[in-house]
Amino acid sequence: MLHEITLIINGDAYTVAVQSHHTLLKVLREQLGITSPKVGCENGECGACTVIINGAAVNSCQVLAAEADGATIETVEGLSKDGNLHPLQTAFIEHNAVQCGFCTPGMLMSAKALLNHNPHPTEDEIRHALVGNLCRCTGYTRIVAAIQDVSSDSQIVG
Amino acid sequence: MTQQTSNPVGKSVPRVDAFEKVTGAAKYVDDMAFGPGLLYGKIVHSPVAHALIKKIDTSKALALPGVKAVVTGQDNPTRLGLYLKDRFIFAYDRVRYVGESVAGVVAVSEEIAEAAAKLVEVEYELLEPVFDPYKGAQPDAPLIHPDLGKYEVVNFIFPEPGTNISEHFKLRKGDVSDAGVSDAVWAQCAAIVEDTYTLPQIQHAPIETHVAVARWDLDGQMTLWAASQSPFAQRDLLSNSIGVPHGNIRVISPYVGGGFGGKAGISIEANVVLMAKAVKGHPVKVRMTREEEFIATNVRQSLVGTYKIGCDADGNLLAMEVAYYFGGGAYNDYGVNISRAAGYSCTGPYDVPHVKGDSYCVYTNHPIGSAMRGFGMPEIHWGLEQVMDKLAEKIGMDVADFKRRNCVRTGDTILTGMTMPQVDLITCIDKVTQAIGWSRRGEAFRASPQDSIKRDKEMPRPGKVRGKGLAIMWKAPAMPPNPGSSAIVRFNEDATVNVYVGGQEIGQGAFTVMAQMAAEALGVPYEWVRVSANPVDTKYSPYEWQTVASRLTWSMGNAVKAAAEDARGKILDIVAQYWDEDPADLDIKNGVVVSYKSEREQPLQKMVVYGLPNENFEGWQGGPIVGSGKFMPTYVTGLDPETGQGARAVVHYTVGAQAVEVEVDTETGQLDVLRVASAYDVGKAINPDLVMTQIEGGAVHGMSSAFEGLRFDDKGRPLNGSFVDYKIATALDAPREIHGDIVETPLEDGPWGARGVGEHVMVPTAPAIANALYAATGVRFNNLPLSAEKIFMALHPEGPELSCELPGR
Amino acid sequence: MQPFDYYKPKNFDEAFKLLTLPDKLMYPLAGATDLIPHTRDGAWKPDGVVDIKGLPGLRDLTVEGLEPCCGCAPGECLYVGAAVRMNEIAGSPLVRSHWDVLAQAAAAMGNEQVRNRATIGGNLGTASPAADSAPALFVLDASLLIKGPTGDRSLPVERFFIGPKRNALKKGEIIVGILIPKPPAGAIGVYEKLSRRKAGDLSIVSVAVMAQPHNGGYRWHMALGAVAPTPIHAPQAEAILNESHDDAHIDEAAAAAYGCCCPIDDVRASAEYRQMMVVNITRRAIRRVLTLQRSNVETLERSHI
Repeated sequence: MLHEITLIINGDAYTVAVQSHHTLLKVLREQLGITSPKVGCENGECGACTVIINGAAVNSCQVLAAEADGATIETVEGLSKDGNLHPLQTAFIEHNAVQCGFCTPGMLMSAKALLNHNPHPTEDEIRHALVGNLCRCTGYTRIVAAIQDVSSDSQIVG
Repeated sequence: MTQQTSNPVGKSVPRVDAFEKVTGAAKYVDDMAFGPGLLYGKIVHSPVAHALIKKIDTSKALALPGVKAVVTGQDNPTRLGLYLKDRFIFAYDRVRYVGESVAGVVAVSEEIAEAAAKLVEVEYELLEPVFDPYKGAQPDAPLIHPDLGKYEVVNFIFPEPGTNISEHFKLRKGDVSDAGVSDAVWAQCAAIVEDTYTLPQIQHAPIETHVAVARWDLDGQMTLWAASQSPFAQRDLLSNSIGVPHGNIRVISPYVGGGFGGKAGISIEANVVLMAKAVKGHPVKVRMTREEEFIATNVRQSLVGTYKIGCDADGNLLAMEVAYYFGGGAYNDYGVNISRAAGYSCTGPYDVPHVKGDSYCVYTNHPIGSAMRGFGMPEIHWGLEQVMDKLAEKIGMDVADFKRRNCVRTGDTILTGMTMPQVDLITCIDKVTQAIGWSRRGEAFRASPQDSIKRDKEMPRPGKVRGKGLAIMWKAPAMPPNPGSSAIVRFNEDATVNVYVGGQEIGQGAFTVMAQMAAEALGVPYEWVRVSANPVDTKYSPYEWQTVASRLTWSMGNAVKAAAEDARGKILDIVAQYWDEDPADLDIKNGVVVSYKSEREQPLQKMVVYGLPNENFEGWQGGPIVGSGKFMPTYVTGLDPETGQGARAVVHYTVGAQAVEVEVDTETGQLDVLRVASAYDVGKAINPDLVMTQIEGGAVHGMSSAFEGLRFDDKGRPLNGSFVDYKIATALDAPREIHGDIVETPLEDGPWGARGVGEHVMVPTAPAIANALYAATGVRFNNLPLSAEKIFMALHPEGPELSCELPGR
Repeated sequence: MQPFDYYKPKNFDEAFKLLTLPDKLMYPLAGATDLIPHTRDGAWKPDGVVDIKGLPGLRDLTVEGLEPCCGCAPGECLYVGAAVRMNEIAGSPLVRSHWDVLAQAAAAMGNEQVRNRATIGGNLGTASPAADSAPALFVLDASLLIKGPTGDRSLPVERFFIGPKRNALKKGEIIVGILIPKPPAGAIGVYEKLSRRKAGDLSIVSVAVMAQPHNGGYRWHMALGAVAPTPIHAPQAEAILNESHDDAHIDEAAAAAYGCCCPIDDVRASAEYRQMMVVNITRRAIRRVLTLQRSNVETLERSHI
């Protein structure tokens, strides 16, 4: 069964025909060429596919594309504005919070969603927010430090 | 290019790949677009652990609309193997583990391929399985590879046909025989400890699963896109198994989303190639689901290790008898090299005069044991570092002092008879014991919770006990004697530099340190150097043996340095001639050729491509500059098959130490690793912060590995092959304080003295935790994985403390 | 994932028609965090999914405008729509004001991304004996509002679970909301969950304990999860604590809780360990309630929300 849906992704509207059983992750990657959300487990456990939908961090592998009709979606491709990196992206680079990079898009979106709701989280709150973002390379130390760095800025990160 | 970092070696410059990765621009295999003609493959896996294949009926699967081909072992009875060719690409007449590839379906969509895979009918005749490597090594065990004697094998691996033993490495040093260390030597020991330690199979769990796309063109050219640590080794394996010449195979690998050894050899890539052969002209993609990744790609071997060690009254180690039974899984091609490496390093980083070591790789009807970070070292150090702890306690010595007394030093003759190259393990021990706040030196080691509480300034919370533990390690790159690296360096008109290598960026930072080394050796700013290896492409990239063994910084680094020096030499020759000077008086600094004699300067821009015009433009000199370099160790020797002795078993060792502090909740058994202190002797930290990130990641990976274990039922079926029940450390589990110290004892043939560290960082963590757990609770755990349940049950064999009776059950 | 059809009904009638299509296995779809994993591994084989999130009232979280029920005065009952997300419950000041034990339970489930999608209706509907929301709803005396093709009905939450992953819904029925009476002022509840990892994991043992001021003393409520085929009350333990909550009675109550559970061995834990942990976790939960009572704190500090 096909559904025609419209997704507002990083500010742009995309209209696309999707199969009932296809996840948002599959549609983003294979129909729209938005490949930053990654396929890690397809079970809502690893967070490599994390995107922000209507302001909340979700695993796009646990959303049917058809359900997301009309939704506002943010991915890593939309983080930088006018050629300038988002403070989180800069912090990840400066803190060496990136190794193989496969978990990085999901981490950035979880971090952004966290700071949107809680601009000055404690270390505990950061680590809790990242429980659903698995990383096998970094040990999380630098990722937490990068987020703390950004959150200590007086500006609210939006 | 506003930033200009000169002489970047030794500096913590930013990674070259970070920008791409934080913007989503970095492409991995599954991100690559192959157009609407892409076909999808699904592998049919064996549901049984050990059986003969009586019949495979693919007709129903083929009849499903949208299915293009179904491939089985009958179509392709080709074996592959690097060291021991024991595996058919698709099972031919027999399956040997749950998850083995039995058939491959190619279809126009993933759903159709998935549905068709369920329609492939296979008739099995069950055989008795073997799951325990110790039992599997006994003479009466059912044979998993009855034809072991007929398999092609390299000349340094010694399988025992008629058994399940695919490799037996023997180490005999000192007053020992095949029966053991002599009684006379044991009689000299004031203390002896004997114990058995086990660990299960665990999985790499990279966040990117194995993905491969293959296209077999009608002209016989074959292209494989794979998430691969070793494109050249994969090309070689494919060529040798499917009979296509190397020159007709092209392996392309973009960024890898984590490898840890699991993407080093060939797992499903050969299957995808054969599936593509059935639909020539079309690309076929297979992406392992997470559940498939856990059991149908590669795992780390299991181990049953028996240890007996003894020391004299002063605490000098005298004797060691070890027997390592590695559960290699159904196919042991990579596994035999792991058990061999465990054999020639079987003492761990200790100087022991009398050693009898036997390291076996044993077939079991479990997933394929293959390379995983540490390559045998985490497995053997689990038991080793605990028996050392026990022995120190028995002799009444502080374990840190015991290790300082007995650890290997530069110049020692180690167990294989080779001379230990440059290392400083004592400083590593000093650093970690200082950082963790180790107990008073010289005092007897005590394990009671009361003492561990007394040692701390801060009291743990009620119901919680704390303890500290120490472990040291060593590891050599486990390679054949001739693993080569090569590199090419060339310039662009603006004097930016492209460095071509065949080694992979798997997250460890290889591309970054190569850029640093090229820049340093050339004399240009770091920011001018681009590493052109994304993707690594066997058609264009220079040869690199494999991205494994923590070898790239050392080996590929040497090749890059040589290539850069080659290019530098050519530039200096040209300019020297142009200036009529001696090249020895010239140098390149910050991208400008300078003469120390005449103080003339010549920027590199343009001249590195166009050359230099003669006076009045009457002719030109020079031209496009290309430098090339290689590195291959020339000094590794064979080892005597009866004794394991040889002049030079390995190229070098990297050593290190870790100390941890743990807290145990005695009401639940839950264990928290509060702090980790690590120190590694890397020879030269090309990028100190990247070494630190390896130390941090390794500490967490090591900690996680202590709690991980693949579980199987009594029919060999996996019980926890997904992230729901195979848990890896999350941000909340990871220790909050990870402290690292870098020790630098230069390696003779390392670029700027450097050697590798990528695996070493996770080797000692599990035994350090076990030793800390013992200090905290007085209970020793011999068998991984640890768990809150095991810890609680060990602490409370009578059940929870209650003031009343529990009702009967 | 094998193909299925997706429907988004505009009203209840349409929904019930879809859910009762003959010869078709139709599943209600809320957060999809159980539906997708179960469909991927073949445990559930939907022919179609019916997206109920947009149906009237399913997203409401309110004390306003409700019909009187279960003896509550208007404004004295919390209504949680079945399609309200776990994170919405966990972070809601309204829920935390008087029904904090439910917010704690919602916060303990899954991970951030899952909680942003998973719904309380789905958590109940899947009817895992380890469902985090269940013990909390048990101690809060919640009832479920159910709508179906044959009409509306209400069911006390403990009657909803009839076996492991089996619920009391008839064909075509869906939970539309949960009604929870307001506990008396000064009531304190805690939810304790033990799992292999500190978070992001299924329960090995979970306990909800609530003490409600009653006739000058306390009335205790206790429920356990993951230690029986369904979530269960612990009435003997409650009765012991109603007598007294001194140390000896706490131990006896923990022993009684142990007595009423019958856990199984599974890949996460052995039955034996679960039984031991029922004792220790129950004790921990009771002590936390008492500590909070002493400090007059009704809403727990939870640093991660």
